[in-house]
Amino acid sequence: MDSINITGARILFEIPVTDSFVIKITQAQVNSWIVILFLFILCKVLTRNLKVKPESKRQLIAEFIVEKATNLVNENMGQKFIGFTPFITALMALSACSSLLSVFGMYSPTADLNTILGWSIIVFILITYYKMKGGFFKYLKGFTQPIAVLTPFNIISEIATPVSMTFRHFGNICSGSVIMTLVYAALASASALVFGWLPGALAKFPFFQVGIPLVLSAYFDMFGGILQAFIFAMLTMLYISSAAEED
Amino acid sequence: MLERAIILAASAIGAGLAMIAGIGPGIGEGYAVGKACEAIGRQPECKGTVTSTMLLGCAVAETTGIYGFVVALLLLFVTPNMFLGKL
Amino acid sequence: MGKFLDLVSIDPVHIIITIINLMILFFIFKKFLFKPVQEIFDKRQQEIDKIYSDAQSAHDAAQKDKTEYSEKISAADEEAQQIVKKAAEKAERISDNIISEANSKASAMLKKADEDIAQERKKAVNEIKNEISSISVDIAQKVIEREINENDQKDLIDSFIDKIGDDNG
Repeated sequence: MDSINITGARILFEIPVTDSFVIKITQAQVNSWIVILFLFILCKVLTRNLKVKPESKRQLIAEFIVEKATNLVNENMGQKFIGFTPFITALMALSACSSLLSVFGMYSPTADLNTILGWSIIVFILITYYKMKGGFFKYLKGFTQPIAVLTPFNIISEIATPVSMTFRHFGNICSGSVIMTLVYAALASASALVFGWLPGALAKFPFFQVGIPLVLSAYFDMFGGILQAFIFAMLTMLYISSAAEED
Repeated sequence: MLERAIILAASAIGAGLAMIAGIGPGIGEGYAVGKACEAIGRQPECKGTVTSTMLLGCAVAETTGIYGFVVALLLLFVTPNMFLGKL
Repeated sequence: MGKFLDLVSIDPVHIIITIINLMILFFIFKKFLFKPVQEIFDKRQQEIDKIYSDAQSAHDAAQKDKTEYSEKISAADEEAQQIVKKAAEKAERISDNIISEANSKASAMLKKADEDIAQERKKAVNEIKNEISSISVDIAQKVIEREINENDQKDLIDSFIDKIGDDNG
């Protein structure tokens, strides 16, 4: 049972700044750089040699993405926030692609709490910025509404927004990866039990791991990952637009 | 040794209890999906809107369950190490 | 195995790295996906606008040409009608002229013929009168066998002839 190893991201290398402060670069960071590089190359490939009259499928895909994203932002946030489209698209693409990495057996950066906490903090900063646009004191006064006794609860609910967003995304992806790890371990021990009589290396080969986890992987990695990316982006849009509407 | 066993057992029991929080979202989401099915049955042309709204609502309703899950994870993987290190 | 982070762990450095990652991706998307595609959209929009305005101007020109042509055609129609009308008038006038001329000629000829006839008749009447008078004189001479005064005779005969002429006339 030593093979069951449920931990966070693997620490690839450490950069010591001072004795007590060490920057740990983990698999999560490296994998998100891989995702960013992949998305960068995808952008370059899709937008190469654009023509006014679309000739290639690549251009059609690029136009489809841009149009869909613009429509989504326009529907949920209104024309005023159309500048948010690249941000929302980046959020969605990064989240979805990071979650989809686990389909290839790589560590998905979204299973790391820090990644999603970072995104939530950006969203929280944006929400607060749009709430403060009406005036700093008005923003502070908003906490004492409707009566002053409720101030602590208002503060908690304000902080609960990014926290709930973080844990929703993290919990979904992480539960998926934990369950997948358990299933893989269970299948490995089951195949060791059934095929243990085979000679040599074949005895240790986990036959059951071929094909069977696909169904679960399709649900947890693909459906869950894409759904959570969509929901994270939707909630971001809703929170930001409702924050701006308040003043 | 006994302290280790007690800590591990208490963590596991706590994690199991924390996952009771999964009941609430389960019921709530089932109810929401049922209502969404009713809505789609009444107005099949609104399928896309109803589905996306339902998914969003389900995601929000899921939050408490996810909180329970995170607490269970903390109890299983973080707290034992924390306490065992002090022993 | 290497070192692992805890499953639930918070590391400020990782959070900052994530934020920077997201910002980088945001700029990548903005610069390399949305900007060029939006430029293409704008260009396409311009082209479409241009095509539309071209079509509009072509349509306007065609409309103008059409009205011009229809005006011209209606003018030509009118002209032709006028020409026909004029020609018809002229023809009518000419025919009227001809007819009236012919009529007048005919009437003149008739008149002349009448006059000739009248003259001839007069002449014939005179001749006959003279003859009758001479015959009657002869007869009377023969009958009476005496010579009447030439003048008396003549008067008698003239009055007689006149009576005849009146009766014939």
